[in-house]
Amino acid sequence: MVYITSWDEFVERSVQLFRADPNSTRYAMKYRHSEGKLVLKVTDNIQCLKFKTDQTQDAKKMEKLNNIFFTLMARGPDADISEVTGKEQMETQATKRGRGRKQ
Amino acid sequence: FISAHRRVSPPSLSSRLSAEKEENPEPKDRSSSSCAAEESEKPLPPPARSQLNPRSMVLLQPDPFLNELTSMFEHSTEKGSVWVTLKRSSLKSKVQRNKMKTAGEPLDYRCLIRATNGKKTISTSVGAKDHQKFQASYATILKAHMTALKKRERKDKKKAADATTNKKDGESSKNKKPKKV
Repeated sequence: MVYITSWDEFVERSVQLFRADPNSTRYAMKYRHSEGKLVLKVTDNIQCLKFKTDQTQDAKKMEKLNNIFFTLMARGPDADISEVTGKEQMETQATKRGRGRKQ
Repeated sequence: FISAHRRVSPPSLSSRLSAEKEENPEPKDRSSSSCAAEESEKPLPPPARSQLNPRSMVLLQPDPFLNELTSMFEHSTEKGSVWVTLKRSSLKSKVQRNKMKTAGEPLDYRCLIRATNGKKTISTSVGAKDHQKFQASYATILKAHMTALKKRERKDKKKAADATTNKKDGESSKNKKPKKV
């Protein structure tokens, strides 16, 4: 089990993992109130990424990640999540459209 | 350990999900379900009575699911955990999926959300249209219940500030020492 210490790295690698295999990647969260601990896990049954914390600020960050995953999973791995994160944008779609017209 | 899957939806709701389930007669579910092996070992109760088997998965509509999730959080404050898992799924058996592939129908995927407290499992699924409303309510529930997490203490920052000032003092004294020698 790989516990990732950087939140941003966890997010980036999780999204990559999902986009690589959207049908087998799942995102799990475990919360223990008695211990005040939150553990996040993203796995495609081959690789596993985990993140654990006891900080409220990380719960707020997790909220954004939840939104990302909801969008990706409900709409599809190519969904535009720029509205959620502000950083991810489907540039590949734009280039695909542009290829035919660039002369 | 694979928990038995028994998907139940209230008959009164006319969502697409329940319609799909009604189309599926029992035998198809048994043969195509991934838990077929386990199900054959146990006597098979009718799918509607998932309450008889406390380990079975109950598929709910999003709003009842959120209510159940809230009560799970409320009941697991002293001890216990709450697990929530998100996964993309079409909620169709492999047989159905293959049929749709050959027929040329595009598969619609939904986001499957499962929650458990170790004893009871509930689930729901949201599609592209209703996921935003669900994620807002879901976020509210999490925010309201994840209160045991630590807040960032300003004391830490103060301690760090003190440590740096102490270090500076130490360095100056260290510098003095070799000079003296």
